[in-house]
Amino acid sequence: MAYPYVHEREVRVISRNFGDPAARTLDGYRERDGYRGLERALEIGPAAVIDEVKASGLRGRGGAGFPTGLKWSFMPKAAVKPHYLLCNADESEPGTFKDRELIRWDPHQLIEGCLIAAYAMGSRHAYIYLRGEFFEASQVIARAVEEAYEGGFAGEDILGSGTHIDVTVHVGAGAYICGEETGLMNSLEGRRGEPRVKPPFPAAVGVYSMPTTINNVETLAAVPHIVRYGGEWYRQWGTDKSPGTKLFCVSGHVEKPGNYELPLGFPMMELIEDVCGGVAEGRALKSVIPGGSSVPLMDVEDCRECTLCYEGVEAAGSMLGCASVIVMDDRTNIVREVRRMVQFYAHESCGQCTPCREGTSWMTQVLRRIEAGRGAESDLDTLLDMSAQMTGTTICVLSDSAAAPVVSSIEKFRDEYLALIHGGATAEVA
Amino acid sequence: MSAPTHVPFRNPGWAGNTGEFDLTEADVRGTDFVGERPLDGGHESAAPSYPYMLPDKDPEAVLFEGPYRERFEKIRSRYPTARGALIPALNLAQELRGHISPETMDEVAALLGLASAEVRGTVTFYTMYNKRPVGRFLIQVCTNISCSLCKGEEVLDAFLRHTDTELGETSEDGDFTVIEVECLAACGFPVAVQINSRYYENVLPDDVSALLQRLREHGE
Repeated sequence: MAYPYVHEREVRVISRNFGDPAARTLDGYRERDGYRGLERALEIGPAAVIDEVKASGLRGRGGAGFPTGLKWSFMPKAAVKPHYLLCNADESEPGTFKDRELIRWDPHQLIEGCLIAAYAMGSRHAYIYLRGEFFEASQVIARAVEEAYEGGFAGEDILGSGTHIDVTVHVGAGAYICGEETGLMNSLEGRRGEPRVKPPFPAAVGVYSMPTTINNVETLAAVPHIVRYGGEWYRQWGTDKSPGTKLFCVSGHVEKPGNYELPLGFPMMELIEDVCGGVAEGRALKSVIPGGSSVPLMDVEDCRECTLCYEGVEAAGSMLGCASVIVMDDRTNIVREVRRMVQFYAHESCGQCTPCREGTSWMTQVLRRIEAGRGAESDLDTLLDMSAQMTGTTICVLSDSAAAPVVSSIEKFRDEYLALIHGGATAEVA
Repeated sequence: MSAPTHVPFRNPGWAGNTGEFDLTEADVRGTDFVGERPLDGGHESAAPSYPYMLPDKDPEAVLFEGPYRERFEKIRSRYPTARGALIPALNLAQELRGHISPETMDEVAALLGLASAEVRGTVTFYTMYNKRPVGRFLIQVCTNISCSLCKGEEVLDAFLRHTDTELGETSEDGDFTVIEVECLAACGFPVAVQINSRYYENVLPDDVSALLQRLREHGE
């Protein structure tokens, strides 16, 4: 198959149609056994669908890793008010590039996942919230949704079952914070994408003040397979606490970057050395960010024993996040890259909470000063002090995310900071 | 890369220049599947997504008439509140006019029965709303972590150099506006560049001149 890099150790469940343009159409998807999960869901009923997802142990793929079946079960059983399902396709965590591929190669798989989830939670309307930059992906999914309506899989009386579920493709307008679930709800209501205080949680008071569940694209893409083949089937891969397969988005200094679907619990070094062909140009490894820019950096020592599952990465001192593995070789200027990440958070802070709004900008300034060779050793204490005040003090975790790379890089790569501080901007840091 | 002026810039939109790759650009982008999207937005479920970006913007275009009025009505029908339709309605206005002026905000507010201040609050929150006119091609270069590791800033510099502009400024011929953008979610294929609605991936500093030439001659 042509998906540019495929590896024999991959287990392609949700990525099985990557690189296969014929699978985009409704007919192509049906020929590849599409919509069988939805058929089975309609047969077994909503409660059994939730049980199946619970049994699979599927955990939310957007970063937090919350058990999906449990999340679904928080929705009120009686549909007194309208229920909403939101699909979070506002993919914008730096290092993450799986959702766009899932949407553009296999749009019907996502639609099927949305329909099953909406059915299980008694929701009449599902919104697929795409980030505004995804024009191309939005066109593919919009066409596929139209096909699903034409084919009787969406809209009124789905497959003659009497179930009515509408699906709407919604396109945002550019803001990282709209990937936060309550920010996304505000954005879908036409407001500024500012996160809300929880509680109340979305399952009680969500979008339009109605019970709402928000799931990541990758989570929903796995649902049709779980419902069709059963929760136990899904558990044949992964670990006890992290069952199933996961897309690993590998970027940075590797020979073969890309999306690789692997069983959770896969060893980090084998991902880099074997699956991705090693560090680019035969260089040595310096640092890895395992879960997108919001998680702590790891050094080579941390990576050696690390297995890529929720508990494995945590044991290595970081977080799996959305499994966006960013690889940095021995020439990387860590201070510069950390500054670039923090600068991003300063740009994307919504400005509601002072520690985040001010802290991200101040940290960027201090890091720029160090990068330019004008820093002092006391700046490191200032950064750590600010990080402490930015962690756990705000409505959402954007500010915690900005602090994570700063704290971990000072802890693991203090020498590089000191080299710039004492040796000036031209110091040999690598 | 050989001398860029002689090589037509080739980029299927993903992995393109580097992968073990035998698909066409249309296959990757799904162009055939999508087909020509109707101006009225097609089925209501799809109306809130952009059918496409019009090559020629008209800052005086009426909000909304003809097929655009139909699309606006379809959008309105998909949200339980008028305010819910605000972002898709603004997107539609920008598609026609190219940017969102204070007057456009007032008009959209009137169409949806919202206060102008509410609309202004929303518009100023989101980066994709151009608050002033931009060039025929809006070039957004990612310099976030994964692209930064792979020459993101050099690519940005190359775009600025070849268009002879400063960041955010429109070139004299009105063709190009170059800005820096945060992560485009194409991190495996750096450097990611978005030009109007289209992604270009694996862009290296040496590709920039050929890419600009292709835009001038063939459009997006």
